[in-house]
Amino acid sequence: MESEIPIKKEEIPAKREKAVQEEYVRKCPECGSTNLIRDYERAEVVCQSCGLVIDQQIIDMGPEWRAFDQEQRVKRSRVGAPMTYTIHDKGLSTMIDWRNKDFYGKEIAPRRRAQIYRLRKWQRRIRVSNATERNLAFALSELDRVASRLGLPRNVRETAAVIYRRAVEKGLIRGRSIEGVAAAALYAACRQCKVPRTLDEIADVSRVGRKEIGRTYRFIARELEMKLMPTNPTDYVARFASELRLTGEVQSKAIEILKKAAEKELTSGRGPTGVAAAAIYIASVLLGEKRTQREVAEVAGVTEVTIRNRYKELAEKLDIDITL
Amino acid sequence: MEKPEKPKAIINIENVVASASLNRELDLEKVAEALENIEYEPEQFPGLVYRLKEPKTAALIFRSGKIVCTGAKSIDEVHQSIAQTVEKMKKHGIDVSHGVDIQVQNIVSSADLNAELNLDAIAVGLGLENVEYEPEQFPGLVYRLKEPKVVILLFGSGKLVCTGAKDPKDAEIAVAKVTEELKRLGLMGEPRHA
Repeated sequence: MESEIPIKKEEIPAKREKAVQEEYVRKCPECGSTNLIRDYERAEVVCQSCGLVIDQQIIDMGPEWRAFDQEQRVKRSRVGAPMTYTIHDKGLSTMIDWRNKDFYGKEIAPRRRAQIYRLRKWQRRIRVSNATERNLAFALSELDRVASRLGLPRNVRETAAVIYRRAVEKGLIRGRSIEGVAAAALYAACRQCKVPRTLDEIADVSRVGRKEIGRTYRFIARELEMKLMPTNPTDYVARFASELRLTGEVQSKAIEILKKAAEKELTSGRGPTGVAAAAIYIASVLLGEKRTQREVAEVAGVTEVTIRNRYKELAEKLDIDITL
Repeated sequence: MEKPEKPKAIINIENVVASASLNRELDLEKVAEALENIEYEPEQFPGLVYRLKEPKTAALIFRSGKIVCTGAKSIDEVHQSIAQTVEKMKKHGIDVSHGVDIQVQNIVSSADLNAELNLDAIAVGLGLENVEYEPEQFPGLVYRLKEPKVVILLFGSGKLVCTGAKDPKDAEIAVAKVTEELKRLGLMGEPRHA
């Protein structure tokens, strides 16, 4: 191509599937399509809609070797595990291997074993250099422990670790317990990732009370200006419904009810779990997969009375006829 | 500020807290003997609680000679109750000649906007960085104003509570401000029918 057309690079919030190879998706300057192809054979970026060559001689960032199975991959890869915020040194430090083998795979001479043993010991000790790091290491392991108990995925743990680190940077930990801030960071991370857990769920598996977590959460959310939307009852539906072994139809019905309820402003000032529980209860009754109020209440962590109240409100205002 | 509109939200003062100082140390044991129907349990609370019937308030008297008066429904009532307390002490031979200075510390008031509120929308409208709305923890929306420096709790029913005011006017200004802002955002909601 002779004339280079200036390209406006636009960053689009990571679309998981595509973003694996491309760091940012660009828009075609001719037709505006975002459907671009990276052709590594010709080293060009081509628009799939109109055929315009947008970029030439792109650099392939991938490895220069090929691997056909896990074993080969391990052998050929020259890099370590990816960086992670969930380890206090971001996983960047070096470990001396516990096997007494040298670089060539030979046994280490017996007279040097003791020396290597001592080196290993000191290496482990200096990984945590000072009190701040020790606290961080402790907090992150606590974070990981609670997250494991709740079965939270990688991305939530990573987010929680970043929130915790930001809280440390701003000096928000002082005067609060490490466990409390860790639990609050996890609660915030769950909400940020749209997989909210209730405070009760987190309080059950951490060593901190629900009130303390709530208070700490409010504090760090305000100080870090996290701007989290109030939790949406629909975010709880899938989890509660699957815990109650309800089918997808019931879930969609419950979500539909919640949508209507939100339009009629029935959720304002109500606990999101209670509203979600009532919607699930109504949906289960309507579709003939009835669960008792007690069952729903147990899963959602609210009382039966709450469900009854919410359910009456919803049924009345949305004109849902329920005959038991 | 804008002119007072027609039927403004009526603001009810629910509680006035004021502090006063007698400018001298007190021997609480003596005071406890002097005044009738008081609660004094140093193990539990270092102050002495003196409950008045008329106006129905409570005065907390401390060793440092400071008095905290709570439960009053107006600023007048605060002055009355502190005057009564001091008068009683004087009668029982406690020297209060160092003067009393009274300071209003906090006024809690309530009001009704007469309209259902959609707190979710309001939280977004007022800016998530300015408000605190956690329905899981508390059904109200907490809105902290900078000027006047008060905190307003908005509820879905349209009722609100204003705390932190030092002057009854602060509460009025704050409520007017919030009303104005909600109207501007179109989030005032339909007027509730009686």
